Amino acid sequence: MSRVVGIDLGTTNSLVAYVKDGAPVVIRDRSGDGLVPSIVSVDAAGTVFVGREAQRRLTTEPARTVYSVKRFMGKGLEDVAGEAGRFPFRVAGAPGGIVRIGLGEQEFTPPEISAFILRELKRRAEEFFAAQGDVDPQVDRAVVTVPAYFNDAQRTATKDAGRIAGLEVLRIVNEPTAASLAYGLDKRHTGVIAVYDFGGGTFDISILRVEDGVFQVLSTNGDTHLGGDDIDQLLMDWALSNSSGASGFSPTSAHAVQHLRRAVIQAKWDLSDREETSLDVSAIDPEHPSRSITRAELEAIIRPIVDRTLGPCRQALADAGLEPAQIDEVVLVGGSTRIPLVRRLVGELFGRTPHSELNPDEVVALGAAVQADILVTGNRELLLLDVTPLSLGIETMGGVMSKIISRNSTIPATGSEMFTTFADNQTAVDIHVLQGERELVADNRSLARFRLRGIPPMPAGLARVLVQFQIDANGILSVTARELRTEIEQTIEVKPSYGLTDDEVERMLLDSFEHAEADFAARLLIEARNEAETVIQATEKSLRSPGVADIARTEFAPGERDRIDQALADLKGVLAGTDREALQERTRVLNEATRHLAEVMMNRSVQIALAGKSVDSM
Amino acid sequence: MAVDFFSFLGLPRKLNLDAADLERRYRTLSREFHPDYFYNAPAAERRASLERSSYLNDAYRTLRQPVTRVEYLLGLEGVGPGSTEDAAQKVPPALLEEVFTLNEELDAVRQLRASGAPGSEWRPRLESAREPIEAKRVEHESQLSALSARWDALVDANAPATERVRVLEALRERVLERNYINNLLATITRELGSANQEP
Repeated sequence: MSRVVGIDLGTTNSLVAYVKDGAPVVIRDRSGDGLVPSIVSVDAAGTVFVGREAQRRLTTEPARTVYSVKRFMGKGLEDVAGEAGRFPFRVAGAPGGIVRIGLGEQEFTPPEISAFILRELKRRAEEFFAAQGDVDPQVDRAVVTVPAYFNDAQRTATKDAGRIAGLEVLRIVNEPTAASLAYGLDKRHTGVIAVYDFGGGTFDISILRVEDGVFQVLSTNGDTHLGGDDIDQLLMDWALSNSSGASGFSPTSAHAVQHLRRAVIQAKWDLSDREETSLDVSAIDPEHPSRSITRAELEAIIRPIVDRTLGPCRQALADAGLEPAQIDEVVLVGGSTRIPLVRRLVGELFGRTPHSELNPDEVVALGAAVQADILVTGNRELLLLDVTPLSLGIETMGGVMSKIISRNSTIPATGSEMFTTFADNQTAVDIHVLQGERELVADNRSLARFRLRGIPPMPAGLARVLVQFQIDANGILSVTARELRTEIEQTIEVKPSYGLTDDEVERMLLDSFEHAEADFAARLLIEARNEAETVIQATEKSLRSPGVADIARTEFAPGERDRIDQALADLKGVLAGTDREALQERTRVLNEATRHLAEVMMNRSVQIALAGKSVDSM
Repeated sequence: MAVDFFSFLGLPRKLNLDAADLERRYRTLSREFHPDYFYNAPAAERRASLERSSYLNDAYRTLRQPVTRVEYLLGLEGVGPGSTEDAAQKVPPALLEEVFTLNEELDAVRQLRASGAPGSEWRPRLESAREPIEAKRVEHESQLSALSARWDALVDANAPATERVRVLEALRERVLERNYINNLLATITRELGSANQEP
């Protein structure tokens, strides 16, 4: 079986890690560098550069080099209108549509740019596994982290990016939760942890209770548009307004912007362990190329940004029903937590010194690797129970949002609500899916719209439309609407308004293959065969289990066992062949035939688990 | 799948439950079905795992809080909460007096504000209008917990349905009143809040 890796797809840097002999380790290049800068550059010939190489091109080819693409994931053009002009690359797209990033003549969607980064991480991991002599060094499955406060559209965009990169994203994990997993590993303790995750572009706070190997998120909050980037921007604004020779100089050239950006970042870093440093302002003020800046000055400039993280912390505490004193430990994650002011303010808020034993840049990837290992091995010692960060609901009369699942609900979760028609003979109902905490529709995020059709004409108020929400373990929503009198049903995987369609994702995946369609078809066949083998193995295992005779006697419908045996034999008959459609169809039939058996076996395992429990508690 | 949240967690339909025991059951069952453990399983099992862990999370969330626990039990026993929404619009008879007084106060305060009176003039009036409502809330909490204990005793004694229904009806009335009280308190908080935004 090929490896499954954990990936931290960050705003500034990305990393890949895996579990080796029970402990997570970051995969590094030959020089020992684990970080891949989340930067992509495309030259005039169409060659793509990723990571350090692309980073070098930030100043030489600023208009062709994209950074901080994570800020654009799952966004529409209108969402980024305020800041699009600050980037030296072109931020384009159609009004009402997904953001597109122009690099030279080509345009890319944010998931495609992210896919370049993911592909680089995949390549890095595969080289590493090949070098250590793995029989199957290929990496095609991963756990990928996202900010806890990412909405549905941003999560789906991340999953799409994985798919475009040729990675099956087994699980989307929230970054602070992943970090807690990395921290909690060696300390099998019980307690309440606050994870303060302040990265390059996003801020998250999560409060978790750890007990008995279960990491249960109690609440989460944050701001997906607040991070080191904003600090850098403030410092650049400050440098511009303070440069003495700036008269007549307009720092609009992309070169100057990137030079200055690099300089303020260096000064920010310096001031994390020094009281004073010099800031290189040669890009905007050649006559006075350097000026000094003290830590006190820096803190005064960036204080508003750091203060903005404290409100979400208080809200998360309130939602968890806890006082700061009830937090046992505070963990710092993300590069921006190296700033002394951040540490000081977080320490004051929670009344204790935060932990920072693990490298704040690496801890999320390490946790993702642990989660990947849980998925692959089925090891039940550790379990993450995460929450949905934002409430989900639909639009009702008067432009008001009716909540169906509240924020901080543990996922997976379901919710439902009954609606009716408001006009006589109304034959369709529009469903507008929303995410957010505000009362009015206009103040929340519109996720998707769809229409339930075919309702037979009847007087107003008589139709009974049941709208059901299901959030999976990735925090991704699907919605079903059903008219109960007629059983007309419509299910949609909520494809966000600012997302890609499945077809688009498939096409991008195809485009990304260097070896065209033959490879692509071969790959799809392998995927279908793997799925078929999984079902065959699981079915045979179930049929061998000791309880199956009893189940067949007491629970099976006449002919049910025969149907399973037949479907099993049929699927085995085509397993070695190359007919992908037959494989998929017969896999589906076997799945269908064994569904009832799977349900019964699961119900029995519940009874056994609870019986074990009541014995224990006596 | 089990028919209700209580039996799914292997619990009797009682209102006072041991929080630590609920947590343990929740964790045990989470370890049983969480989708993380079914990634390599066929579609049928993955789906069953997703359904059960969703149901488990919904059950835990509902039963963990005393208020939602009572509301859920009422629905289960068929004495609500189907009509609570309509009922919530009507003023519960037991609260008529308080509501009347509060509305008068609110009208007065709104008039004061409209005429440009400073916050110091009407703010204390809102604060003191809150007090009797707050007292009602406390009173209701204790009534709810006394009724909950009675319900549990009836379950233990396997009491006849007629007796049970009486307690359930009483619980339902208290829940409706309590929801109404909470709405009143929220209204006062809102008035105070919007006051803050004014110059």
